[in-house]
Amino acid sequence: MIDAVPAVLLVLVVACALATAVLRDVLAAIIAFAAYSLGIAMIWVLLQAPDVGLTEAAVGAGVTTILFLLTIAKTVRPPGEAIFESLDPKGLVVAVLIVGVLASTLGALPPVGSAETPVAQSQVTDYYLENTYEQTHVKNAVTAVLAAYRGFDTMGEAVVVFAAGVGLLVVLGREVFA
Amino acid sequence: MSADERGNGDGNAVEAGESNRSLYVESPIIMATVRVVAPFVFTFGLFIMFHGADSAGGGFQGGVIVSTVILMLAVAFGVESTRDWITPERLVALVGVGVSAVLLLGIGTVALGGGFLEYDVVPIYHFTKYGIELFEIGIGVIVSGIVVGLFFGLAAGASGEGGADREPDDREGLL
Repeated sequence: MIDAVPAVLLVLVVACALATAVLRDVLAAIIAFAAYSLGIAMIWVLLQAPDVGLTEAAVGAGVTTILFLLTIAKTVRPPGEAIFESLDPKGLVVAVLIVGVLASTLGALPPVGSAETPVAQSQVTDYYLENTYEQTHVKNAVTAVLAAYRGFDTMGEAVVVFAAGVGLLVVLGREVFA
Repeated sequence: MSADERGNGDGNAVEAGESNRSLYVESPIIMATVRVVAPFVFTFGLFIMFHGADSAGGGFQGGVIVSTVILMLAVAFGVESTRDWITPERLVALVGVGVSAVLLLGIGTVALGGGFLEYDVVPIYHFTKYGIELFEIGIGVIVSGIVVGLFFGLAAGASGEGGADREPDDREGLL
């Protein structure tokens, strides 16, 4: 049985996702999308993943919303007073199919918090949990994995972010972000 | 804020071309709020960045939160003045410094005879922890620089000084 708080959050997230898809006003859709991100962030925290929750709240609910707001300043509202977008049957079928296919894999997932999950039983997990503090002197095993054990990956990610920024400047034909 | 923007957005849709109004709303309420909130958000971002070693967080999350301070300032005081304050040249230089710090940390340990990012070889007590924190700060600097840069880039497009094929717009941009 699902607890009340996750159930409410899941309903909120699904409702916000649907609102994002069907709202006609782009600004309203962006606000619904920000609420969706916030709901997902809270779900991450409930699932004991505060690092991911922080990222989702900061990037999904915060920065992305502002970037979207900047973007819609260049658009115009579609004419008409309808609140909801009229649904395209073909697109609806595709969306329902994708959701159906994804939902069909849900049965293969272990229950949340189960001790039988591959992650909880993995020797790698045990190794990190047992040795992180002695080897890296940090208490957050996630940070230890990111910045020490798998530091090469993280450095690659940092360079990818850097390359994305530089690539954007090259495409825009400028030397600075202005 | 959203109500104002919405009003202005709709106004532009209707009277595009004849409206000279800026989409930036100079609101004393937003300015006062941002003045009060910004230092706390900035401190919180730094805390997340520095304290990622011992609690939830890290360079990426902290960097995004720090960059939101700049975004808030731009929303409250206008993109142009914020851009004059943080020049885009400095932003690019900052990101370069972050990447160099991360690379230096990784390659420096190799130069000292260890493996890649083998912090133990640095002859400073507890350097593993400080090294990890330095690494996180490098990541944070890169992320915040790029996020603010993306924001400035998009804002430049919105204010009509962007692409060459874009005719100069009457409106000044969203902010």
